[in-house]
Amino acid sequence: MPSEWLNEVWVRVKALVMRKRLERDLEEELQFHLAMREEKNRALGLAGKDAQAAARRRFGNVALVKEDCRENWTFTWMETIWQDVRYAARTLARSPGFVAVVVFSLMLGIGANTAIFSVLNTVMLRALPYPYADRLVAVCPTSKEDPKYDDMPPLAEIADWKKQNQVFDDIAAVGGIWNAPMTGAGEPGPIPVQTVTADFFAVVGVQPALGRVFRADEGHKLFQTVVISNTLWKKRFNGEPSVLGKTFRIEGVVSTVVGVMPAGFESFEQWYQAKSVDVWQPPDPERSMYVKRTDRWSLPVARLKPGVTLAQAQAEMDVIARGLEQAYPESNKGIGEKVVPLYDALYQSAGNKLYPLLGAVGFVLLIGCVNVANLMQSRTESRRKEYSVRASLGAGRRRLMQQLLVESGLLALIGGALGVLLSILATHILRAFAQDLPHADSIRVDGRVLLFAVGLSVLTAVLFGLAPAIRAARPDLNDVLREGESRTSTGTRGRARHLLVISEVAMAMLLLVGAGLMVNSLLHLLLVYPGFDPSNILTMTVNLPEGNAKYTEKVPGRDGMTKSTPQAIAFHKQLLERIAAMPGVESAGMITILPPFGAVSVSFSIVGQPTLSLEDRPHLGFNEVSPGFFRTMRIPLKKGRYLDERDTESAPWAIVINESMANRYFPKEDPIGQQLLLRYEPDRVDEERPRQIVGIVADVKHVGIGGMHALFYESYLQYPAHLYGTLVIRTASDVRAREADLTASVKQAVRELDPDQPVTDIRTMNAVLRKYRSSYQYYVIVLAVFAGMAVLLATIGVYGVLSYFVNQRTREMGIRLALGAQRGDVLQMVARLGLKLSMTGVVIGVALALGLNRFIAQHFWIYHVKPTDPLTYGAVTLVLVGIALLACYVPARRATNVDPMTALRHD
Amino acid sequence: MSPKKSETGDLLRDTLDMLILKTLSRGETHGYGIAEYIEETSEEVLRVEEGALYPALHRLQVRGLLAAEWGTSENNRRAKFYRLTAAGRKQLAEETAHWGRMTSAIARILEPA
Repeated sequence: MPSEWLNEVWVRVKALVMRKRLERDLEEELQFHLAMREEKNRALGLAGKDAQAAARRRFGNVALVKEDCRENWTFTWMETIWQDVRYAARTLARSPGFVAVVVFSLMLGIGANTAIFSVLNTVMLRALPYPYADRLVAVCPTSKEDPKYDDMPPLAEIADWKKQNQVFDDIAAVGGIWNAPMTGAGEPGPIPVQTVTADFFAVVGVQPALGRVFRADEGHKLFQTVVISNTLWKKRFNGEPSVLGKTFRIEGVVSTVVGVMPAGFESFEQWYQAKSVDVWQPPDPERSMYVKRTDRWSLPVARLKPGVTLAQAQAEMDVIARGLEQAYPESNKGIGEKVVPLYDALYQSAGNKLYPLLGAVGFVLLIGCVNVANLMQSRTESRRKEYSVRASLGAGRRRLMQQLLVESGLLALIGGALGVLLSILATHILRAFAQDLPHADSIRVDGRVLLFAVGLSVLTAVLFGLAPAIRAARPDLNDVLREGESRTSTGTRGRARHLLVISEVAMAMLLLVGAGLMVNSLLHLLLVYPGFDPSNILTMTVNLPEGNAKYTEKVPGRDGMTKSTPQAIAFHKQLLERIAAMPGVESAGMITILPPFGAVSVSFSIVGQPTLSLEDRPHLGFNEVSPGFFRTMRIPLKKGRYLDERDTESAPWAIVINESMANRYFPKEDPIGQQLLLRYEPDRVDEERPRQIVGIVADVKHVGIGGMHALFYESYLQYPAHLYGTLVIRTASDVRAREADLTASVKQAVRELDPDQPVTDIRTMNAVLRKYRSSYQYYVIVLAVFAGMAVLLATIGVYGVLSYFVNQRTREMGIRLALGAQRGDVLQMVARLGLKLSMTGVVIGVALALGLNRFIAQHFWIYHVKPTDPLTYGAVTLVLVGIALLACYVPARRATNVDPMTALRHD
Repeated sequence: MSPKKSETGDLLRDTLDMLILKTLSRGETHGYGIAEYIEETSEEVLRVEEGALYPALHRLQVRGLLAAEWGTSENNRRAKFYRLTAAGRKQLAEETAHWGRMTSAIARILEPA
């Protein structure tokens, strides 16, 4: 009823003005009532004094009735809250130590949560920027046998789905995004390129702002049509509409622009949304990787028909998957298709990274709250007298509770404000930490984050303020007033406080174990020798275009297989010779995939040993290298010889294997002289000639820095399968001083050999390794900081409880000392309690961590360290117990310094 | 307001409101008069708590169901007299009807089968 409501407000506003008169009226009204009652009592025969007392007794608490009446015509709640805020500020100002500890605890807790939420808010809490975002799904293959299976279906299979399903509007295949050399439009250089099927744009529902999208039949080995980004259009074509029909080359393929996407259009690839892409191109139907059933490169993305549910789509895909299993048992046996919302598919990995952290900061906040609750409880107990007095003076229970909640609210808001400040200060660290996540650059504290922080503050205020408030609101008036100051609260309340501290220590321990395992993993990464000497090495990438007939040719009769031309071999040979001859260069080499970024997978059989069936053929990794690679990287030769200039196409094909491979596949016999027959996926046939092992080199960390993998090397100069590669150049002096001029010289050399070839990714080897480690590093640092906060807060908790314990027992200790107890005994008494509490917490924490070790291993970044690593557990236990002992020390000292006389006179 | 345990004779808030309105429908009176009238009429079964009565009067006044003015009581004291407004009269009618429906429904349930 709006008019009634308005009336109410009007009454209250009026009351504000006529406050004095209304108060007087109320007083008079109630006095009248009392007088009338008194008169009646007298008429019933009670004497004067008794009549008045009876009237008062019957009436009850006049002050309370007044307050209840007043509430109707004043903004009482606001006024009393304001009153309480002032009162709280005054009382809090009298105990700055208490305030400091509480605010600090809350600042850490709320700050950490706000910080992680700001990351989550920017990275994940956003809808996909497509019109039918809620109908977009990813169709991810799953395997019954292999839970980690994440191979994507080939185009041919997606074509089958399209024909057989009734639930999707359309299905597109979305490839990965990589940097491809672009030439013929300004300075040659790498630009982000993505291969998508023609229906990609229709599926996500975004049309080009200019021109059209490419058609399904416009991909070709030598020429194609492409759609470009608004950014590229502005940068390279000045935003002119005449861009349509212009051509340039992507990896040598002549590309004609047919469309320009609208500004701000965000693409995605598997696991990652919002990567920037400058050119979208159709798949080349002749390239075997797009055509063969065995090859898998792209994420299938489909749009559900309106009204179709996820479950219906899943049911349909189950039927289709079973059909495909029967039709193509070789490739599809046991393979199912899981329909997941596209958002989930893209943000799963970001979530995997962030949610554990959210859990960690949740713990930090919880520990902070426990701390504060403990402190509040001690404080409430020492203020019981105050509450009782107030209650006896007519303060209602609600009013007492309200005042305590206002107090905790005030503390929480101050803590929250400082916490927000803390998270703002931490923003750039968070950006660095989240560098591999989408939108990391725009991480900041915005309105939503602030709202979150405020909500969190209020929640914490209730969390730690409610229990003391309830306790304060039911003081046993007579007891407390009569009792004076007895110091015997070691009963259930003391036990509750101890339980809280134990839980704090346990939570801190759990976090510390998680962080400890990650720090241990990081140490593995940082300290482990990569197997080569990374100092003074400059790396850069030269990718010869694959589609270019000059550098690749078909292998006759080999079903789409290609190989490098003699020109390609000559290009690499000449380039390396020229670089090696440059002044200040010690040696130069080249490798397909720079360590630690991986190797190419191949299956093989050993000549002279029984041939295995298709499934059982061993797979391992290899890299193609130039002869100078080993010397440049300083990889020691263990046996035989390195690859060298003699290994040409006409010579017997040679390979060098690493020690791991030698130990694994030739444990008894001498590997030198053994021959392997290689077979590249997706081909179904072996290479035409075997490759002979000519040497064994020391292990190098090619695939990540943690483990060691069996691996071998082929020569770029013999029969290379790959045109791309990274140059490694060792300089005689400090590489950083030579980086600029060496880069210029190499670019010059490349230009002289082939003017169209860009040189990209120029970095020192040390920078490469640093970058590789850095994302983990930040993750570990962030978690370690949170664990540190947890430990700090738990320590404060232990300290607080012991201080309280000592305070409560001052008199007892005084008596003990007066009766001849040694100071050591008193010290022991305090230390024993401290140790008991922290050790119990540690043991529970360890038990929790061991129980959760699977979860920890799965959700935290742990690298070549067992989730139950005893060394880590031991180390963090020592740290925590040590810190807890320190926390015991100060109150224990204080206890031993108790002067018996003062203690006995206490109160 | 402190939530009080419900004992026999305690008046629920809405019921108290209705009784106040009903009392005032007979003519204007002060708070004490209302309490006395309810107790007498109910033959001492219903005892009105002052702690509930006065806040209720002020609440009804703020809601515009009652109006109040100062006058002189039977024994020549200054007293605050309450009377029903038009809105109050309407509210009383509604609540009485509702109450009638409720009690007859409850009575039907409690009647021996």
